[in-house]
Amino acid sequence: MGSIKQLSLQEAVALIQDGDCLAFSGFTIWRRPTAMCYEILRQGKKNLHLFEVQGGFHSEVLVGGGAVRLWEGSWMGQEILGKTGVNLSRKQVAGEVIVDDLSHGHAVGRIMAGAVNIPFFPTALAMGTDILNPEYDGFAKAGLRTGAYPKIPKEKYVKYKDPFYDMGELLLMPAIKPDWGLVYAPMVGDEGTVRVLAQSYNDADVIKACDKVIVIAEEIVPDEYLRRDPTANIATGYEIDYVVVCPWAAHPTGSQYYYDTDADFLRNFNATTRTQDGFDKFAEEWIYGVKDHWEYLEKLGVKRLETLRASQATGYSSRVKRGTR
Amino acid sequence: MTASNEYAKVGEFKPMDLLAAAAAREVRDGDVVFAGTGLPMLAITLAQNEHAPNAACIYEAGSIDGRPIDLPTSVGDARCAYQAAKAGGLFETFYGQLHAGYVDLGFLGGAEIDKYGSLNTTYVGTHANPKQRFTGSGGNADILSFARRTVLIMVQEKRRFSERLEYVTSPGWMVRNWPNPEYVPKKEVYGKYCYGGPTACITDMAIFRFDENGIMYLDTVHPGFSAEDVKKNVDFDLDISRCRGETLPPTYKQLEILYNVVDPEGIFLP
Repeated sequence: MGSIKQLSLQEAVALIQDGDCLAFSGFTIWRRPTAMCYEILRQGKKNLHLFEVQGGFHSEVLVGGGAVRLWEGSWMGQEILGKTGVNLSRKQVAGEVIVDDLSHGHAVGRIMAGAVNIPFFPTALAMGTDILNPEYDGFAKAGLRTGAYPKIPKEKYVKYKDPFYDMGELLLMPAIKPDWGLVYAPMVGDEGTVRVLAQSYNDADVIKACDKVIVIAEEIVPDEYLRRDPTANIATGYEIDYVVVCPWAAHPTGSQYYYDTDADFLRNFNATTRTQDGFDKFAEEWIYGVKDHWEYLEKLGVKRLETLRASQATGYSSRVKRGTR
Repeated sequence: MTASNEYAKVGEFKPMDLLAAAAAREVRDGDVVFAGTGLPMLAITLAQNEHAPNAACIYEAGSIDGRPIDLPTSVGDARCAYQAAKAGGLFETFYGQLHAGYVDLGFLGGAEIDKYGSLNTTYVGTHANPKQRFTGSGGNADILSFARRTVLIMVQEKRRFSERLEYVTSPGWMVRNWPNPEYVPKKEVYGKYCYGGPTACITDMAIFRFDENGIMYLDTVHPGFSAEDVKKNVDFDLDISRCRGETLPPTYKQLEILYNVVDPEGIFLP
């Protein structure tokens, strides 16, 4: 029988140190550990290094709030709710965040290599692009590829000629093993088994690649329930380290079968946080101005939350008005 | 369906309807399609409801051949995975599907495009002094590098049809094999992994295709535009000698499917 170590949101986030390398669960505007990211800002963490297969609302908040020094990943935005990541754009242009760009395929290969403890992942995706232009290697230009930083590889990539089947030159992408995996899951078992209820994204790889993993869940359920269908689970209890229970922890991102994405909230965030002043107003209202996550939920209100609540038949809300008809 | 296969007349459809119909015509029955949010979703869903019932759609967040009953607004949406053959994650879509060689057709957009069909979705300005950041690649570079055919969807503006991209996010028919800065044919870099490349570009004014040297030419102009109008909105020297005339409008049947079946909520078709 396994067991879990349960912490409060504040206790869990207090474990993260300034300068640590973080990776997250989810995809763009789905299953992001938002409540943990808000708490990171409340606790004033600085100089974080984010490794993201792709970013989203949660990391726009961390970047906008000045907690991030290094960002590497393939993409930042809110899909159709805000086409670019306005906070990362502002901070990159201002030189406040050092950015290193990858493609999705590159980032996926890197986290998979980290997950299975192999030093690199071979790929032929996205060759012949400026992602591989040595003059555009953001971390090298900042003097970070010296080997002195354990979470930053000495080369962005290496070209290697296939010695086995003469498939030609491929890229070897270095593994990434972040310090912390911050993972939102709708359900975690009382022995730590983790379940998600839709596309698995890169969540299982993030859990295995990171040195320590905090799972923030809507609820703890009996492991016996999750073990009735082992094929639906993405991680076992010994792969994770801490559990935080926090209802609506992914809001405004969505959690299939629990709640839909809060499109109005995300659209408004993207439209109003292009400037630092705009971000600061948002953060004062929704992050620093509420004393904890419960006050955040009270501020959102019952009507808003009930509108987002997902149907148990389809996994998404039938009450959200999405279009013009 | 009661509506006919006759073409709708100018004034009976909106610009977005024409783009959706044109993009849908690029889908062949049986294609495995890697699509993104917005117009590509309209196109693949329209095609599946009309001439390509056996086309399968992959959304990069992990759903394989879903049968959505409600139009998704995000590729990570639970709506994408409804009735899917399988749902996994990005390792499955980018390696299990794309790198494995299953993908016939991709749909992509960008902030800038060059005459080889390369795209910029990363930033404008220089690396030392970026002026504005966009999203970055996401799957853009991967899909354009590996799909057999890719349809590029762009806004027609001179500054977007650039002689030289400020950042080559995604590879067209001519690329640079870093650290060598010379442009070489894609085949030289990809070798046995060169499955294809960009095959069409659809804008709000025209449709472009690529010649035997991988260079973009004007194929058709949308009703109301001339080849000269298009040439004025392209920064490089555009070949208009092969222009076949006007882009086909949507049919009444396509309009009925678009508004009643694909997007009845008015998400992308207001």
